[in-house]
Amino acid sequence: MATQPVTPSVASAPPITAEGRRRLGRGLGGGSKGRPGETLAAYLFLLPYLTVLGVFIVFVSLYGIGLSLFKVDIGFSVPQFIGTHNYEVIFNQLSDFANSDFWTSMINIIKFVVVIVTVQTILALVLAVLLQNSILKNRSTLRGMFRTIFYIPSLTSSVAVSLIFLWFYNPNGLFNYLLSLVHIPGPQWLQDPNFALPAIMILNIWTTSAAFMIYFMAALQDIPKELVEAAEVDGANRFQSFWNVTVPLLRPSIFLVVALGTIGGFQMFDQVFFMTQPLGGPLNSTLTPMVEIYNVAFSDNHFGLAAAMSVILFVVIFIVTIIQRRFIDPSTSQ
Amino acid sequence: MAQVQTQTRAQAVARTSEGRKKRPFAWFNIIVYIFLAIFTISALGPLIFSFLSSFKTFHDVLAIPPTLFPQTWTWDNYVKITSDSAFLRWILNAFIYAVGAMILNTLFSAMAGYALSRLQFPGKETIFLLTLAVMMIPLTVTLIPKFLVMNSLHLVNTYFALLIPAMAQPFSVFLMVQFMKGLPKELEESAFIDGASRWRTFYQIILPLVRPALVAVAIVTFQGAWNDFLWPLVVLGTRDMYTLPLGLYFFKSAHYTEYNLLIAGSMFNTIPIIILFFIFQRYFIEGATGSAVKG
Repeated sequence: MATQPVTPSVASAPPITAEGRRRLGRGLGGGSKGRPGETLAAYLFLLPYLTVLGVFIVFVSLYGIGLSLFKVDIGFSVPQFIGTHNYEVIFNQLSDFANSDFWTSMINIIKFVVVIVTVQTILALVLAVLLQNSILKNRSTLRGMFRTIFYIPSLTSSVAVSLIFLWFYNPNGLFNYLLSLVHIPGPQWLQDPNFALPAIMILNIWTTSAAFMIYFMAALQDIPKELVEAAEVDGANRFQSFWNVTVPLLRPSIFLVVALGTIGGFQMFDQVFFMTQPLGGPLNSTLTPMVEIYNVAFSDNHFGLAAAMSVILFVVIFIVTIIQRRFIDPSTSQ
Repeated sequence: MAQVQTQTRAQAVARTSEGRKKRPFAWFNIIVYIFLAIFTISALGPLIFSFLSSFKTFHDVLAIPPTLFPQTWTWDNYVKITSDSAFLRWILNAFIYAVGAMILNTLFSAMAGYALSRLQFPGKETIFLLTLAVMMIPLTVTLIPKFLVMNSLHLVNTYFALLIPAMAQPFSVFLMVQFMKGLPKELEESAFIDGASRWRTFYQIILPLVRPALVAVAIVTFQGAWNDFLWPLVVLGTRDMYTLPLGLYFFKSAHYTEYNLLIAGSMFNTIPIIILFFIFQRYFIEGATGSAVKG
């Protein structure tokens, strides 16, 4: 009993190396065949991830598409296959556009996305260029400090920011006070159908620009200095070299920032939920597709119809992203 | 023309060879300073103003003209909030969600990343491509079916409903693969010769080497769950299960115009993340962009 643990370890000392060498040989030469048990080990390592990926991403996405072909309400009746009926209902509303909540929400979100994506992309680029290529170019401590400062708004959550801006936007709040300093009569912001959506745009631009600034900073760092210097040697001024040399090289990052902004923007929900009263109001001016989907599913108990709306929203996002890619970064589209 | 050009060329060469010669202070720099000042104020202003205002009284917070500092400093807002046991419960729930998701996702995505970057097995390519593809599926498609799945599993209104979908996220797996595939192969081979099991190789050799990636994934996951509003809204039903963002929504409805309380409440959501940011700044930025930019 006492000798047993000792003997094998002594006896097997040389074989371990021999065995090890053999295992190593197989590991190197094996390629896709792999070492014995490697496949099993790999799938054990992957098990939790594959569960989530399989059930909560892949299955659930397909389920969502399937769901859009059913009439589903919880607690009342058995799901009933109705083919493309949900889609027909939605598309029939196109004829009475103005009274359709879903299509109103689509128009709202398109306005929203166009404005926020344009403004935040430009702002992010300006911020990044300011930090990377201006007087801060060779002062890394100062640059780091400003980067930190500019990044802070993107740390805030949509919930916290909504609460804070709710206060700023109240008719006697900070924004109207600042406007009154320059003698502009402030609007009622969230109570005014013309200003409620712009108010949410401002808040969104404030939180997201800085996050995208980081992408541009990283991309600017990768641009070879020689290219910009060469342009300046050839007589290009600062703006020409920026526009003709830097911007074309940034195309992939511009696409990334625009696409991420678009995908996020189309799904805007929290801010409307927090800041508008009634939800999506006034007069549906801030109703977004996600809010409408939420309403249809959880207030009206029409899960199938809501799923069909989700699919339409997804298709719209997908097509818009592809078009953006064609225009912004054509080199990768082929 | 040609002469001018050669001249500028010569000047430029002289400039670069001399090293950085200071340009004369130009109007361009003044504009840059103005921009920096404007952006600094607009980035920090709202948060500093809100933070200071969370110590104001109800009357003070609506004062016209608004003052930056409270006229009388008061802890009342915080006292009132923290004496509400529901509010404390929401903080606890948010903490359970955020820390749980953080631990699980960091571990499971590292495990998946290890398999996908360093092991050879059939199906590897498919799983990796699938990971890339599903990152593009927006929340809109999965929200409702995900709820129905949770509903039929009878997990609605439990911590499981929050944690299970968050416990292994494609973006984190992708980040881990990017980090791990760069490590030299010899590391594992020597461990393997020494007879270490794959789990030990993973745990004792690979994980310590990708610590920056682990921290980045941990932080991004924590932040995502801590701030998450839509999924808890959909899947949680009773007041005692709410996470802080969801609780703040109902808190807002109860104290609609009491901005002093709303602002103080929002600080509970904001300040933990800002503290984390100052401790782990580098990892925040790496986690948010690292993989996307490095490709």
